[in-house]
Parts: sequence; structure tokens; C-alpha cells
Amino acid sequence: MTILLETEVQREIQRLHRAWEDNPTFALVPEKSGVKNEWIEKGLALLPDELKNGHFVLLTSGTTGAPKLIVGQRQRSEKLAAVLHQAQESEPVQETILALPLSYSYAFVNQWLWSHCHQRALKLTPGLSDPAEMRRALQQARNAMLCLVGVQVPLLAAYFKDETFPGIMRVHFAGGRFPQENLPLVRALFPEAAIFNNYGCAEALPRLTLRKAEEADQASDVGRPLPGIELSTNDANELLFRSPYGAVGIVEDDKFNAITSEAWVKSGDLAQPTEQGTWRLLGRANEIFKRHGEKISLATLMTTVTSIWTGHAVFYREQDSSGENGHVLVLAPAPAPGQLQEILLSFRRHHGRAHWPLRIEGVAALPLLPNGKPDVSGAAAMNDKTLLWHQRI
Amino acid sequence: MTKPCFGIKESKMENLAKLKKLVEDVFLLQTGEFRTDLRRDEVETWDSFGVVSLAVGIQETFGYHLSPAEAVGIKSVADIISLLSAKGIKFDH
Repeated sequence: MTILLETEVQREIQRLHRAWEDNPTFALVPEKSGVKNEWIEKGLALLPDELKNGHFVLLTSGTTGAPKLIVGQRQRSEKLAAVLHQAQESEPVQETILALPLSYSYAFVNQWLWSHCHQRALKLTPGLSDPAEMRRALQQARNAMLCLVGVQVPLLAAYFKDETFPGIMRVHFAGGRFPQENLPLVRALFPEAAIFNNYGCAEALPRLTLRKAEEADQASDVGRPLPGIELSTNDANELLFRSPYGAVGIVEDDKFNAITSEAWVKSGDLAQPTEQGTWRLLGRANEIFKRHGEKISLATLMTTVTSIWTGHAVFYREQDSSGENGHVLVLAPAPAPGQLQEILLSFRRHHGRAHWPLRIEGVAALPLLPNGKPDVSGAAAMNDKTLLWHQRI
Repeated sequence: MTKPCFGIKESKMENLAKLKKLVEDVFLLQTGEFRTDLRRDEVETWDSFGVVSLAVGIQETFGYHLSPAEAVGIKSVADIISLLSAKGIKFDH
């Protein structure tokens, strides 16, 4: 089974085209996933024989925090690309500009697979890490679709103030909170574009609902299910879905679990239906959260820390100055400078910036709960912590 | 209340040493990786949010508020030194 690294595919997109057309199942993974290659290889080996051809595999942190391999069937995803083409009114769209990592299921299906199935151009860019290149791509766009995450809007505003890109005719948002309050800004940048709020999850591969921006005034309103998709909630308001396009299996905890067509799958969010027939999100179902559009798993990050650090460690949640979700790492006892640098370098090696803690703090000892576990709230509230490092954001 | 770890020492640092610590902190550089001719395209962590973080750090460290155009225009450590030198912040290197 082939493992394609995202950077290799970015250099030669034909590799992905060939992998999709060839029979054997393949995996597309980012290089900095925080997950070792051996884990991925071991996970792929667990796939049953009937999934070893005609499928594809993406890596996600899932809703439990542990890494997961999401297995999709190519025919089902091609059907979703066709459904999206209709629902998103994409027939006039001639090209799509990639501003997100290709291994995100959102970019993978909404952009690469859609362009592949409908013979449209896929314009690869380095995203907003290179504003000049991004500007060039947006200026050259003709009847183009752009897929973004909401947190990119302030950056677009900073980089492209007073500019307009009339070649963009569709702007999609997913992977986090819809930038409802910043719609005037988005419309100023893209005056010819229809703007859509997309909602989904990796297990749905990836779309569940869709709404046009103007159809609601609340970011939490994610619209109606796409044709063929059913949504429901359980007693705890956990959002469940059943999709003919979703994943057919998941590898997690060293086991393969098949997802049958009849199964209701948790999306990882709490939600409730509205009287208008749309769905409103209420928040995350657990401690996994999104920062800058990326799903942050504190469990995965703790694995990175504990691979270097033998002392005590705990994360607590905090918002940064812009209101974005974040996390703070507390270490006990305070590490020596060399140990701290090793931890920081490990974050750099294994995780993108969104996953880095807002701060690293040191204390002599962590407060403990009666059961002996670290007291996260107590650690957050301590007033004699030493600031060891912080992100300036 | 969190107290700064290096507060007194930092106040005695020369500007180049302050800049070195800032760049190392923002981009999580390894020991020996910092150079005054270090370019943005050599450091994978010098991404779009890194640009924002660097701008905040320059404000914190040197008291100079970069405009978005200045922040995006910085392509190297040498560019930071040139920009800050033009604002009267001197570097000996």
C-alpha cells in the first residue's frame, strides 16, 4: 500500500492523480502529523482485504484525540464530489485555488477530487504563508473557487487591504467557526463570489451540511444536510450522521472498525435542529478543539511532550488575545533551559504552529486531585508560575 | 500571576542579543541556527502566523509597531535589522 506524503504530492500532483486511478488503496498524510510512519504502516496493515483496493486513507486526530486513519471508498467520494458540484452551483467554476493543506479532507474532496472529477484546474499555492504568491494566484484567477478556514480572514485583511479579486466566484469556509461577522470584509475582497458555510468532519469525508452565507445571521447555523445525508442527535445533544459518502472504516487504538451504511456516526459536535430545518452547533463534544482551523488534540501533544520530558506535565485551555482557542503547558518541576529547548524543538519537528502552546509555564509541583491525577483547573489558577516561553500572538 | 523568567537579564541585553532571542523564540530555532543573514525561506516555521508573532515580538522587545506591509516585507533577519536601524535602534554586528 502506498503512502503519499503531502509535500511530494504538492511537488508533483500527477502522483495523486495516478494513485486515484490505480487500483491499490493509498494513504495521503502530512509530513508533520506528530504520528510516526510505523504507526501509519501498522494501521494500514489492519485493513481487511476488501479495502485494499479502490479506497483511500487520510490521517486525522478524530474526536477522541488519538490519531485515526479514515478509510474512504473512492466511488462514494466521487458521488459526493458530484453532489457538491450541484449543491455549490459549481458548473460555472473553471478552477480552484488551493490555500489549505491538501491532506485536509475538506481540501482533498472539495478541491482536488472535485477538480479531478469535473476536469477543472487545480491551482496549487503555498497559501497565506507566502502572501505575494497568494496575491498573484488570486489576481490571475478566472471563475475560480477558493476554500478557506475562518481564521484566515484576518490575515487576508492584513495582507490584501483595499484589494479586490473579482476572478473568485465561490468562497467556501469550513474547518472551524464561520466568519459571519467578517462577511463584509470577505465580500469586499471577493465582490463577485457566492460565499458558503460548509460543515462536516473527517469521518464524513468530509461534508455534511451547506448554507449560503446570507441564509442565516449566526455563525453556528450550519444549514441543511446535503442530499442523501441524515442528521440526528442523541439525548446528550451529540450530533450524529448517516452518509452514503462517509468513511467506510476507521483504524484507531490498533483496531480496524468498519462503518456500515446503517451506522449513525458521531460528528464530534453538540447540535440541535432549528425550526427552519437547519442545524445549529452548540460546541465541541470533548476536549478536542480547533485553533486556526486545525483540530488540536491535547492527547497527541502530550505524547510529544512526554517523549522528551520525564517530569509532570499538564495542559489547560485558554483563549489567546484574538479570542481563538488555545492551550497552555505547565511543567513540574521547571525544566532546565536545555530540556525546555528540546521540548520546543520537538513541537517544531512534529507539529505546525497552531498546535504549539500559547505559553509554557514552570512550577515546583503540580496540584493534585484526591485521586492523584493532576488538577488542571488548579494548575491554571496557580499564581506562582514561572513563564518559560510564550507565543507572541 | 506569571512572572517573567529572564526579566532583569533581558534588560541588559544588547539589541542584537535581544533580536537573537526573539527570533529563536518565535521560530523555535535550534542552537546555532540563528544568523544575521538567515532568510525566511530557510525556516519552515517562518509562516504567516510566524510573521504576526514576530511583529508582536518586535513591538514587545523594541517598542516599534510594524505595519502589515513592513511585517510581510521582512524576508530575513538582515531586513529586521535594516528596518529597526532606520528607526534609530542600533545593532552592533
